Amino acid sequence: MEFAQEQAGDVVIVRLAGRLDSGAARSAEDGFNGVLTADSPHLAVDMTKLDYISSAGLRVLLVMAKKVQQAKGKVALFGLSPNVREVFSVSGFDTIFSIQPDSAAALAAVR
Amino acid sequence: MLSFVEEITLLLLDDTQGRFVDLPLSASDVVVAGAALMDLALADRIDSDLERLTVVDTKPTGDDILDDALARLAQPGQELSVSAAVEGLAAYAEGYKEKALKRLVAHKILREENGRFLWVFPTRRYPVIDDTEQREVKARLRQLLLTDEIPDPRDVVLVCLIDACNLLGLVLTADEIKHTTARVEQLSKMDLIGQAVTRAVSEIRFIVKHATSPIF
Repeated sequence: MEFAQEQAGDVVIVRLAGRLDSGAARSAEDGFNGVLTADSPHLAVDMTKLDYISSAGLRVLLVMAKKVQQAKGKVALFGLSPNVREVFSVSGFDTIFSIQPDSAAALAAVR
Repeated sequence: MLSFVEEITLLLLDDTQGRFVDLPLSASDVVVAGAALMDLALADRIDSDLERLTVVDTKPTGDDILDDALARLAQPGQELSVSAAVEGLAAYAEGYKEKALKRLVAHKILREENGRFLWVFPTRRYPVIDDTEQREVKARLRQLLLTDEIPDPRDVVLVCLIDACNLLGLVLTADEIKHTTARVEQLSKMDLIGQAVTRAVSEIRFIVKHATSPIF
């Protein structure tokens, strides 16, 4: 899995690519921990190139969302592929996260 | 920190009686099996998605209950659906529960009391002697269920297990249960293994209910 980040004003855009499963969970968690250092983090997570997410991957996102909430920040996800979206729907993660169609909408949602 | 198998074994005990709450035996086996799978998932030994459960690391955890479950799942060439894994391990859950009870006694959370029913039949109960762990878990889950707080993965698992056993009354009042249906449903869905446990328990309850209904 690839984890990349870029700054867009006061928002950090995190780009995930490949498979977010048990093999990638630790590095993704470390990546998010590195991003969540601001007092009130604002994150937009680009999942356009994320092909697969397992239970272990969902747990990484859940822990990240909890940390963002505790820090009174905001997070939005965008670009979910149909199979990743199905996992979010079945697991109810779509009720926890703000899911946006594209980068512009995600940036607007977290600003 | 207790494992999920220990935690659910403890919660399945009636605080005052020291005996297991009324739940079909096979349903409690499914719940304990699910708890073992959830322990293995959080120990990074298994992973799952909407279709299958995969063993990703066969290294023993050092917990004999979990290592037994892991060895059974890690048979060569074995690829399982989450439901099949839950149902397969349920056959060994009685032994897991016995081991968990012994550990809880060793941790001085429970006390073992042997007695006789009608002076003849041997009975055993497990009164709680230290309820610190139970009180902490119940307080944390209560806070989670009554707010919009994002849960951590451990709490999602506990909500799934408690909901599957119909034990929400341990955490919430009857009135609160009525008002938190959507929240419980939201949290219970969040663990894919938990979903399989809830489905299996519902099926068992359905079978038990219809098997004991009058024909006419």
